[in-house]
Amino acid sequence: MAARELALTALLLLGVSLVVFVILNLSPGDPFSVLLEGQAPGHAARASVHEALGVPTTWYGRYLAWLGNIARGNLGTSIRTGVPVAGEIARAGPNTLYLTLGSLLVTLLLAVPVALYSASRAAGALARGLRLAVYLVSAVPVFWLGYVVIYLFIHRFGVFPLLSGSAEPARHGWLYGLLPIVVLGVANGTVSEVTRHLRGELGRVLTEDYIRTARAKGAPVWRHAFKEGFLLPMTEMIASKIPFVIGGAIIVEQVFNWPGLGRMVWQAAQDRDFPVIMGIALVAAAFVRLASLLRAVIYAGVNPRTATD
Amino acid sequence: MTRPPLLEIQDLRTYFYSRAKEAFIRSVDGVSLAIAPGETLGVVGESGSGKSVTALSILGLVGGNPGVITGAVHFAGGNGASGPRNLLADLERYVSLTKHDGRIVAVAKDEPGWRAHVERALARVRGKQIAMIFQNPKSSLNPFVTVGQQISEAVRLHTGVTHASEAKERALGWLERVRMDSPRLRFDQYPDGLSGGMCQRAMIAMALASEPSLLIADEPTTGLDATIQSRIVALLAELKSEFGVTTLLITHDIRVVSRLADTVAVMYGATVMEHGPARDVLAPGVEPKHPYTSALLASLPSTQTNGRRHAVDGRLPVIRGEVVDTMNVPRGCRFHARCDRITDAIRARCMGEEPALATVAAGHRMRCHLHPGEARGG
Repeated sequence: MAARELALTALLLLGVSLVVFVILNLSPGDPFSVLLEGQAPGHAARASVHEALGVPTTWYGRYLAWLGNIARGNLGTSIRTGVPVAGEIARAGPNTLYLTLGSLLVTLLLAVPVALYSASRAAGALARGLRLAVYLVSAVPVFWLGYVVIYLFIHRFGVFPLLSGSAEPARHGWLYGLLPIVVLGVANGTVSEVTRHLRGELGRVLTEDYIRTARAKGAPVWRHAFKEGFLLPMTEMIASKIPFVIGGAIIVEQVFNWPGLGRMVWQAAQDRDFPVIMGIALVAAAFVRLASLLRAVIYAGVNPRTATD
Repeated sequence: MTRPPLLEIQDLRTYFYSRAKEAFIRSVDGVSLAIAPGETLGVVGESGSGKSVTALSILGLVGGNPGVITGAVHFAGGNGASGPRNLLADLERYVSLTKHDGRIVAVAKDEPGWRAHVERALARVRGKQIAMIFQNPKSSLNPFVTVGQQISEAVRLHTGVTHASEAKERALGWLERVRMDSPRLRFDQYPDGLSGGMCQRAMIAMALASEPSLLIADEPTTGLDATIQSRIVALLAELKSEFGVTTLLITHDIRVVSRLADTVAVMYGATVMEHGPARDVLAPGVEPKHPYTSALLASLPSTQTNGRRHAVDGRLPVIRGEVVDTMNVPRGCRFHARCDRITDAIRARCMGEEPALATVAAGHRMRCHLHPGEARGG
């Protein structure tokens, strides 16, 4: 089973890289023009750059060359800066990891209490109000909330200092990071989905026959409802919402000037710096895949039915 | 019934709103029953007669909307020598009823308050003093927990055994007592790996493992294969003679009741139609006195020849008409529209006046204008 999963992962990453590469090559602009800045980007000049760098002229040639590097564990170097992509990702990656996992935590801290409360009191007015609030919050666009928050907390009230990516480490550096994390956690658009799914699943499980048995037996209901009513839907939601959180991270990193992969990939897209884009796309895809593998592992561990398959 | 009953239900009513909330579904509408210690009371009736809801109401397991609204459940189990206690005590504090013309037309109930009250009031009763088994044993066991752990949990919750290994030994003992084949193997299996019959054995083991004074078996054989059904019935009969646990047996299957019950209650249209010793109500050779019981027995495909078969041209007799609509309970006898013993002499009474549950013989009560209690004697 593990070998099959690994093969699937490799296939997935290959597919992702191919699609991203094709899109990059279909979009206008030549990554190597950046090296000709200030000069007239004539056809001859570009051809000479390609030749000087030993870059294949066809797109599939370039893809195969990139793939060959990947096979040797080399993510290539940035066309713009000449710095190895792997090192750049290793430098910026933890910042993005911190941002995405932190905001996921914020999302769960918002969604889970509302879901648990409204699953236990389905008809209450407060539960309905909370759910409505959650839906409204989820509809807020993340970039808008980001700018509003920056305006209010940084410029108007000065509660948080302005974060600048290049500054020397400040004394309470971790605190500055809270603002983008909260913004992304609130407005990544998944709060309502997580609330709805968890509430629905827990509500469904609470009407299962075996929960009635647990009550008749005098056993704590949560002990019997935990696995199917909480652990599984939570795992499902975390695994399936990670792509959305990563997508939101790209925007939040722009808005807050957060030195992570999102800002890096944005910059690289401006420059058509395809080794950087490809490297980050690969890492993001691997991250998403890792989450769904983790889900599969938890499902297999929890559910005797899938474990015996 | 000379001994004081272990459980006595008095005028229990459990209503639900219909979907559009414009009417009540009177699922349990004035049920009174009693079980003496050590005895098995079989409650029979068609689907929708309110037997299961009665059982669930005892343990506070019916959902609200509005749920249990009136009645008393006196329970004399447990080690407290303080006599029977009413499991539905203080119900009236949470419910206010509006009556019109003797019928409940509106209910206002503080359901969350009542729910919290029930959880507190029944905390020492559920599982410990009254245990329950259900139909569909497979879905009634937690699919994510091994069978053994579920039984050990009951042991540890209610018998004062705290040591895991001792609880496991006890659980294994119970698996043996319910004749589970290879109990040590089954102990570590999940319900999914077990057949329906084995799951019901595990449920029974789990219920008995807490050594309750009352066992409620809600349709214990429904949904199982016919051969498995008879094995479960045999097991229940065996356990009855071995442990003598007082049992409230709910089933639509008269054969199960006639096999296991000492006392029988026949329910129809959310209320009790007849209640008495099994030998009087169902026993072969005795003509059932209540028209509904009689019709129910006549519709049985049985090999018993006791002179009351009136099957003609090889067909089983059926009770004509539909089960009474508990949303629109008729004014008179609930069974009058389907009754084939109705006579012109009493028709007006059957249609206009609900008969009372009158005593027709020692311990034998029935609700029928044909048998108006003391007048007939028995």
